[in-house]
Amino acid sequence: MQTRNTKEIYQQLKKARIKILIPLILLTITSYFFFIWIIAFNPIFFGILIFDTNISIGIFLGFLLILLIFLITLIYVYLANKILEPLINKIQTNV
Amino acid sequence: MYKLIFLLGLLISNLLYAGAGDEEPNYTAIIMFILFVGVTLFITYWASKKTHTAKSFYTAGGNITGLQNGLAISGDFMSAASFLGISGLVYLSGFDGLIYSIGFLVGWPIILLLIAEPLRNLGKYSFSDVVSFRLKQKPIRILAACGSLSTVILYLIAQMVGAGKLIEILFGLPYYSAVMIVGGLMISYVTFGGMLATTWVQIIKAVLLLFGATLMALLVLSQFEFNFNQLFSEAVNIHSKGEYIMAPGGLISDPVSAISLGLALMFGTAGLPHILMRFFTVPDAVQARKSVVYATGFIGYFYILTFIIGFGAIVLVSNNPEYLNNSGALIGNNNMAAIHLSHAVGGDILLGFISAVAFATILAVVSGLTLAGASAISHDLYANAFIKGQNNEKIEMKVSKLATIFLGVLAVFLGILFEEQNVAFMVGLAFAIAATTNFPILILSIYWKNLTTRGAVIGGSAGLFIAIFLVILGPVVWVDIFGNNEAIFPYKYPALFSMIVTFVGIWFFSKTDKSKNSINEKKLFESQYFRSQTGVGIDKPNAY
Repeated sequence: MQTRNTKEIYQQLKKARIKILIPLILLTITSYFFFIWIIAFNPIFFGILIFDTNISIGIFLGFLLILLIFLITLIYVYLANKILEPLINKIQTNV
Repeated sequence: MYKLIFLLGLLISNLLYAGAGDEEPNYTAIIMFILFVGVTLFITYWASKKTHTAKSFYTAGGNITGLQNGLAISGDFMSAASFLGISGLVYLSGFDGLIYSIGFLVGWPIILLLIAEPLRNLGKYSFSDVVSFRLKQKPIRILAACGSLSTVILYLIAQMVGAGKLIEILFGLPYYSAVMIVGGLMISYVTFGGMLATTWVQIIKAVLLLFGATLMALLVLSQFEFNFNQLFSEAVNIHSKGEYIMAPGGLISDPVSAISLGLALMFGTAGLPHILMRFFTVPDAVQARKSVVYATGFIGYFYILTFIIGFGAIVLVSNNPEYLNNSGALIGNNNMAAIHLSHAVGGDILLGFISAVAFATILAVVSGLTLAGASAISHDLYANAFIKGQNNEKIEMKVSKLATIFLGVLAVFLGILFEEQNVAFMVGLAFAIAATTNFPILILSIYWKNLTTRGAVIGGSAGLFIAIFLVILGPVVWVDIFGNNEAIFPYKYPALFSMIVTFVGIWFFSKTDKSKNSINEKKLFESQYFRSQTGVGIDKPNAY
């Protein structure tokens, strides 16, 4: 089923995917559990107001986390379309 | 078609009857709602003409675009429970509402990064297609169907009870007839229109809900000169908890609960059968990726809106006697905060619009759930576990339609049975089961070479039982519902423990599996992995 060329591209694809996935997964999990951890251990910290506003650190970071989660999906799709998709297309036309 | 017209007639007469009560009926709500039902039944009629094959019934022919699927997925997530429930939680305790929103959202990168593409590349109609790709059909299908059905039924009960109560308050209908209207409409959407109708109902509702919530948030902010600072400071002044609404409150108080809830929300999302099923409606992995980005964007935006709506309700609703009962609490309950707020900022017309959208939301979400449940019965249990291979598509379609009617009737029955019960724990349990059974077997079947049928079945079912068991022995059921003094299992959220049981169980019983069968299953991994990564060999979408 797989020619030598296809095999090489497939190896390339696997490597490239891991390179993209690992940092993004780590970023997702650590930022989320960091957030949950503070809620469990140091809720008072999240109640501190930022400078002289009425917005607390918790609410600010919460909104930031929502934005970050969206950005992670955006970054992945950008990288996947740019790096992974050409490799996948090559394999599909080869097989 | 006649059945649909009959149903519509029944509905209108019911609503008019409701309008004849002592309160002035909200005509905007009734007109808006009848319009919604009319349009969606028309779509169902249109979809029924295109729904002849199993593929079109389960996956809308695989022709849905990334944007459409993203809207439909976000529609599944923006249930009445999350719209009214999260804004109600923000209204009650401020910051804590954000913990749930973020937990629901953070599952999406996980789905995108690890599951969406392999799922699309390996499966046809349901996630158990993926799990049973190289494992033994019968035991795996039965396990996956058990996981799917328990998630779907728990979710359905919670939605049904919520729906009945909500419609009772909004339209003045008696509880049982509200539940029956929801059940009847949902059965007709799904049996006649399949996934195509269910998807479009979900898309229309998602657009309406995003529009309505945006309008409400803008109207709220316009009263504070579009300044968050001013909104928050007035909320702190008015709320009985004062500045504590800006910080985490009592929702999570110890680290075990924090991690356990976090795990259930994060990985539960990635194991919800009605969400996973949507990835088979797009033509390929590229569109599957795209749909997650759209969905995450819409859902994140929506949660920010619910936060503003909750805070708006604190300032504009909580000390307006028009919305309070004699004891000073909100009329209805805290979940009605968003509904009252719509009246406070937009009068009867916005109230009517938001009420109708809330009703539409319930209909769309229960339809998606029922379709996922029906496919577990017809595609997994009937076609692949019991009659194995000698499948006749026509009969499978019939079975799935019967399963839809069965689940619809069951949902109505359970909805009436659980009317007086506290059902809030059911969504939590559904997430726990999804995170404990569906997610581990799915992720390990895609990525772990050494997974065997024995490991998946023993580990997965052990986790399923432990999760249910721990919820029953925990504070929510054992103390609050059974009335015992002290819980046997001290934590509200079982996911941390049950997920460990599943993963260790699967690992141990796969590793020690030396059967002939297991050697073959390991051999098949390479070619499965190749297909999951490249999409070589997947079905083409239907041409219309």
